[in-house]
Amino acid sequence: MPVRHLRPTSSAHAGLVEWLLQRVSSLYMAGFVVYLILRFAASPVSDYAAWKSWFAGGVVRLACALFILSLLVHAWVGLRSIYMDYLHPLWLRFGISLLTAFGLLALGLWSAEILLTVNS
Amino acid sequence: MEMDKNKNRPVYLNLFQIRLPVGGVASILHRITGAVLVLLLPFAIYMLQRSLQDPAAFADIVARLGTPFGRFILLVSVWIFAQHFFSGVRHLLQDIDIGLEKTAARRSAWLTFVGSGLVVILTGLCL
Repeated sequence: MPVRHLRPTSSAHAGLVEWLLQRVSSLYMAGFVVYLILRFAASPVSDYAAWKSWFAGGVVRLACALFILSLLVHAWVGLRSIYMDYLHPLWLRFGISLLTAFGLLALGLWSAEILLTVNS
Repeated sequence: MEMDKNKNRPVYLNLFQIRLPVGGVASILHRITGAVLVLLLPFAIYMLQRSLQDPAAFADIVARLGTPFGRFILLVSVWIFAQHFFSGVRHLLQDIDIGLEKTAARRSAWLTFVGSGLVVILTGLCL
């Protein structure tokens, strides 16, 4: 939806933060994915040693961490709007949202574990 | 009495006979692919973890992705991502008022399908 069509229905900024997070995270992820494609097209990784040494780099892991964070935020906002459109009983929407939130948090912690233990 | 009459109004919700405009198809695909991508996320994280574990696990992942079934899953996943990527770009451009006019919006919806199709073909050629 175009920016100029956004109208507050409750408080003046309700939903605007989510709207913005969705866009900002998508820009970061799109940039990162394009970088990954170009990087691995330029010099394909064929063995474990090359793959691990690439991933173990500090900048790569930091970029991956930001990617995962963007992904979780993006997924949360996206799923939330799907739920708001299709899950009408409040208890169902709340229940599924709660499961989603814990699920995404678990995926985030799991990714953090991978990112932090790759060098050990 | 009035209420009863209203309840008898014809309801036309046969989803197979409603012709969704192409922009609507791109939009609903954006949602469906987005939801599926979230469901694929645990598998992607698991594969990342396994691939970094040891050389044998890495070789195992590569071998599994090389089987016909592995390639099929990979190509479907690539299509889902590419479709979400291109329809996402389309929405971002519409956010800044690019391609809002009817014919332009229709053309860009078709372009997302063409784009994701091309990405799948390119990936297939590279496999």
